[in-house]
Amino acid sequence: MPRYELALILKAMQRPEIKAVLRRTVETLLERGAVVRELQSLGERTLPYKISKHNMRHTRGGYFLVDFHAAPSEIPSLLDHLERDVDVVRPTVVRKDEQRNVEPCAGLETGLGESRPLHK
Amino acid sequence: MFHAVRGNVAAVSRLLIPRNRVLVEAVRGRKSRSDPKAKSKAGRIKVPPPVDPVEMLVLKERFTQYDLIMRALRHRAEFKEELLWRRYQEEVGTLAEERAKQEAEEHQALMAWNDAENQRLRKLREARIQKELEQKELRRAEAAISRENQMETFVKEKEQEVLKLQEEAKNFITLENLDQQIEEALDNPKNYNFAIDKEGRVVKRTVLQ
Repeated sequence: MPRYELALILKAMQRPEIKAVLRRTVETLLERGAVVRELQSLGERTLPYKISKHNMRHTRGGYFLVDFHAAPSEIPSLLDHLERDVDVVRPTVVRKDEQRNVEPCAGLETGLGESRPLHK
Repeated sequence: MFHAVRGNVAAVSRLLIPRNRVLVEAVRGRKSRSDPKAKSKAGRIKVPPPVDPVEMLVLKERFTQYDLIMRALRHRAEFKEELLWRRYQEEVGTLAEERAKQEAEEHQALMAWNDAENQRLRKLREARIQKELEQKELRRAEAAISRENQMETFVKEKEQEVLKLQEEAKNFITLENLDQQIEEALDNPKNYNFAIDKEGRVVKRTVLQ
């Protein structure tokens, strides 16, 4: 199963409500045969722009990251489910595959970078 | 003048045709057969080449003798028979036999040479093919070894992956530890809004709004 990352923006709520929504979401994932690796909270932040969702206008939101493995065929239905959730402002799922054979960046040590300073 | 010949057009046209016209002039300026001798050659007398009477006599004598001999030879039956016999020998007799034998011998020699050459080339070819086969075998063996190595590394990699996953699986979220994990995540909010330097240290951090 490929690895995915769910970037979840919830509406600004109190802690028990947030817990309930997260529990709901992770349970949905597990129901669909997903393997949840990790759950991270990025805290409550101001949204970059105002977002209207479910007839509400949001200026702040709670940011969460869910790292999971799932079958690709399950992703559309999962997104559909999350879109219907009134407490979710914006769900986004992206592929998160491990990169292999990543060569280290040569940086400015070699080549033109050293002889020609970028900033004076 | 014209009224005298009126009514006879054919005679008039014949009268007007020039007499000595050249029908086909092969080369311009050349004389025709009936032209008279040129004035500059009027007094020329043709003198045949001089002949030495003594030499003429000798030649005539010799030619007569030669002619006599040749005629005699040509008409003598013996000579004719000899000629015929020789020709017969040439065509079907002993000479022909000999020639056939010689030709056969030559053919034999050439065939022997051909066989020897074929043998030599065959040996060369067999040696080459043998060498090629050996090289092919060697290459195949090398390929097999390298494939085996690749497979081994692949299997090792996959095993490592499985072990790593098994190790990580202990921290996965299940229905049992879901509440605890959520609590933990909410207690420790992460902030990735920072910049790092080359050594990976955090240099600058943006405060959450």
